[in-house]
Amino acid sequence: MIMEVKDFYFYYPNTTQPALKGINLPFYENKITALIGPSGCGKSTLLRSLNRIHDLYPGNRYEGEILLKNLETGEMENILEWKKEEELIQLRQRVGMIFQKPTPFPMSIYDNVAYGLRLQGKKKSEIDEKVEEALKGSALWDEVKDRLKQDARGLSGGQQQRLCIARAIALEPEILLMDEPTSALDPISTIAIEELAIKLREKVSIVIVTHNMQQASRISDYTAFMYLGELVEFGETSQIFLNPKEQRTIDYIAGKFG
Amino acid sequence: MLKRRFFLNKIVLFLSTLSAILGLIFLFWILITLTIKGITSLNLHLFTSDLVDNGLRNLLIGQFILAGIATLIGVPVGVLAGIYLQEYSYNSRLAEIIRNLSDIMMSAPSIVIGVFVYSILVIPVGHSNGWAGIVALAVMMLPIVVRTTDDMLSLVPKELREAGVALGVPKYRVIFDIVIRAAKVGITTGILLAFARIVGETAPLLFTSGNNEFFTLDLNHQFPSLTVAIYNLATMPNPQLVKIAWAGAFVLVVVVLIINLIGRYLVKDKK
Ligand SMILES: Nc1ncnc2c1ncn2[C@@H]1O[C@H](COP(=O)(O)OP(=O)(O)O)[C@@H](O)[C@H]1O
Ligand SMILES: [Mg+2]
Repeated sequence: MIMEVKDFYFYYPNTTQPALKGINLPFYENKITALIGPSGCGKSTLLRSLNRIHDLYPGNRYEGEILLKNLETGEMENILEWKKEEELIQLRQRVGMIFQKPTPFPMSIYDNVAYGLRLQGKKKSEIDEKVEEALKGSALWDEVKDRLKQDARGLSGGQQQRLCIARAIALEPEILLMDEPTSALDPISTIAIEELAIKLREKVSIVIVTHNMQQASRISDYTAFMYLGELVEFGETSQIFLNPKEQRTIDYIAGKFG
Repeated sequence: MLKRRFFLNKIVLFLSTLSAILGLIFLFWILITLTIKGITSLNLHLFTSDLVDNGLRNLLIGQFILAGIATLIGVPVGVLAGIYLQEYSYNSRLAEIIRNLSDIMMSAPSIVIGVFVYSILVIPVGHSNGWAGIVALAVMMLPIVVRTTDDMLSLVPKELREAGVALGVPKYRVIFDIVIRAAKVGITTGILLAFARIVGETAPLLFTSGNNEFFTLDLNHQFPSLTVAIYNLATMPNPQLVKIAWAGAFVLVVVVLIINLIGRYLVKDKK
């Protein structure tokens, strides 16, 4: 287990009802965990708690625990106790995130990947190396190696998304969060991202939100089904899809709602 | 009923077309008069000598120094204020007040700003000076820059900010390295248009920087500017001096036009 959510509640500002209610959920090392459930059930809210990006906006409130394994000591540390800006910055370098719409920075392809490395104070030669490695790792190198200096916004949507993945993995995160990373992409780019996720699993644990059940069953090892802010069922993907225990899971997978 | 509406529609269309044409007639009248009188008064001597010798040189340079330094002051302050509004205020009460204030300042008559600066920077010193003119122009420019920065930053999708933060980038670096860069063209255009706006102003300079026939770089004393000179020369009995005013007005319009065109080109290029 690399991360664990325990008795977790989340409140958006000026709301009395929690958006997430008593979530308990483990994330396993070098596995892909899919979060599925109908729109508005809280998948993004949960995912965005795992790197505490909610902290960007005032008034959001967490309750409970989110534990992250310290790779040196092996201890599980509660990330919700971290208060300092540096602690959050470190957390986000350890827990990367890919968004629904590709988010290339307004700079060159090279700089997009190098940016995070430069902030870490890495040397030029090391950065060059890591940029190439990350672009190869995200299966983009062959397409962009001759135009690294060009503006990243000129890439196609699928390429942009792979660039964002390269940017994230260049920092060698322990966990990669993906919020419907293929829902804005065409089928071919979607397959490319899915294959990439499976390949990346060797190095990084992945949590992926998807409303596409085929996608969840194709790529994930574990699946969590959420409904109305609660975790209904969690288990190995084959079990959830072939042999769900909860009636709501059965109905959802049968396409009765959502 | 339908017929009546149709009829009304025609009348409104007719009236609005008529007023548009009327407006255009005056605009072209002004432009044509200005061009004819301006071009016929133009000569090389105007650009090589100062007002004392019936030239425009010190006036043009003075105008650009005033507007240029005002921009150097107004842009950083305005951009930072815009950043505060969009990135740090979370739309608090204070932000609301600043936005409204800045809108009011934008529509304040420029003569009012001139008189205000006169009372705080000219009266205590005892005489007109370049700095007072600069402050007046900077004050005029400020709300425009604040507003443009605020608006342009608001067009940057929040996902881009989140993507920066999610990479472990400190917030201020996200703003300066990513968000500002994404809004660069819009902000630059706004600054250019704001510059074009202040470079042709007379009222804020009239009581502040005053008037000077000689070439000078000393901002502690009366400072030359094209607009104030045009204002003074235009009513002179000496037709020679009036001709200088025409030439100056023509040059000014051309300069402002060019800056505006660059601004528009940038906007179009972006789309
Ligand atoms: N910024 C917000 N402020 C208030 N409520 C929100 C906000 N974002 C999402 N919500 C609410 O939280 C619930 C879960 O949303 P979300 O996590 O985006 O669902 P999902 O990703 O599963 O579609 C929804 O009811 C949504 O309306
Ligand atoms: Mg979502």
